Amino acid sequence: MRWLRYFLVVVSLVVLQTALFPDLRVFGAVPDLLLVATIAVGYERGPEAGAVFGFVGGLAIDCFLSSPLGVSALAFALVGYGVGVFQSGLLRSSRWIAPVLGGIGGLVGGALWVVIAALAGQDDLITGYSARIVVVAAIYDALLALLIFPFVHWACGNHDLARR
Amino acid sequence: MAVYRRESRRRPILVMVIITSLALISLDTGGNGIISSVRHSARDLIAPVQGVVDDAFHPIENVFDGVSKYDQVRDENARLQARINELEKDLNAERALGQQVTELERLLDLPNIEDATGVVARVIGSSAGNFERTLTLNKGTDKGIIVGMPIVVGDGLVGKITDASKTRSTVTLIDSPDVGVGVRTEKTGTQAITLGRYGDNLLKLGFLSNPRADISEGELVFTAGVDGAAYPADLPVGHVVKIDRNRGELDPDIYVEPVVDFDNLVFVKALRWPPHTETTEGK
Repeated sequence: MRWLRYFLVVVSLVVLQTALFPDLRVFGAVPDLLLVATIAVGYERGPEAGAVFGFVGGLAIDCFLSSPLGVSALAFALVGYGVGVFQSGLLRSSRWIAPVLGGIGGLVGGALWVVIAALAGQDDLITGYSARIVVVAAIYDALLALLIFPFVHWACGNHDLARR
Repeated sequence: MAVYRRESRRRPILVMVIITSLALISLDTGGNGIISSVRHSARDLIAPVQGVVDDAFHPIENVFDGVSKYDQVRDENARLQARINELEKDLNAERALGQQVTELERLLDLPNIEDATGVVARVIGSSAGNFERTLTLNKGTDKGIIVGMPIVVGDGLVGKITDASKTRSTVTLIDSPDVGVGVRTEKTGTQAITLGRYGDNLLKLGFLSNPRADISEGELVFTAGVDGAAYPADLPVGHVVKIDRNRGELDPDIYVEPVVDFDNLVFVKALRWPPHTETTEGK
């Protein structure tokens, strides 16, 4: 049942990312909804789940981008794993955890994406413009994390038993 | 013990994910057909849902645009009005010249834009990512659109089809670093190639056939349409807005602003180019 909810999260965020948010750009940047969801999964369920969800979510959005398939999958998986590893040391009761994690994770994930895409052949990406876009997108991610984290929390179901 | 088992289980999963991702990147970069098929299937599968969501959220998008782009639209309107006045003065002289060229092309049996039929499609979205300059069209291979087709609107050249599934196709815009267009300048006929840059809607002209040509600001730039070119000749691309002639540099830095407003396109036309190109429509 949890897998069905994860599937629903991925599909709904892919649809929103491709159909709605391209027309809601802020200073030329769109948020990375699947990246924020990956951060949320890593936070809720740990590094393995974060890595796998990031891989699957990244692959899903890669199908709709012109960059090589696998770039988002790798970037998101690494961020999901990293968040999962550090989640045990994070404050759980703070209501600011979602935007803080969403923003920092968005920044790291965006930078990783640019580096991986550049290594895959798109070296034109290494510019000041890319840095600006990554920062703006991270702020956008932080704001949307307030909505996406509860959605992912619902999808994760009864995760208390899985917590370390 | 429990901690050791957890740690030892994490790493294989991470390693597997990294290796799989790198393998996919390598395969896709090398042009693997299976990966293209997977991409196309995913796009076709989600297309109906995207359409519904796009229609449902259209009012929100309009409000967002109205708030975020008002000043931009107002300034653009004033600039365009001045440009219209300037171009109307040149139109009559161009008409006579155009008639002579048409006669010559007919004599030489050169394909021109009037010979090219095409497919009209609606723009249903722009790039889902932050580092692409693409548009999504509501038609694909089932309506005769194939990779490589030039995309135009009434004002000029938009880009070309770089990916096409059964029901959707992707246009990469001419201001993308991935697209270079062979062009010539209006007055001197100097040939060059446009180079797009991330974060800048201006095109840079590179590989000038005559670096010392007297190119001036405001000059129009058209597609060159040389033998075997990807685009027909004489499609408006942009006009020169800035020239930097640096001392010691052989080529001046020439910047062209595209004539087409890529952010407000609704309908575009995919040209069958060259005109005798067969398509897969109905197959």
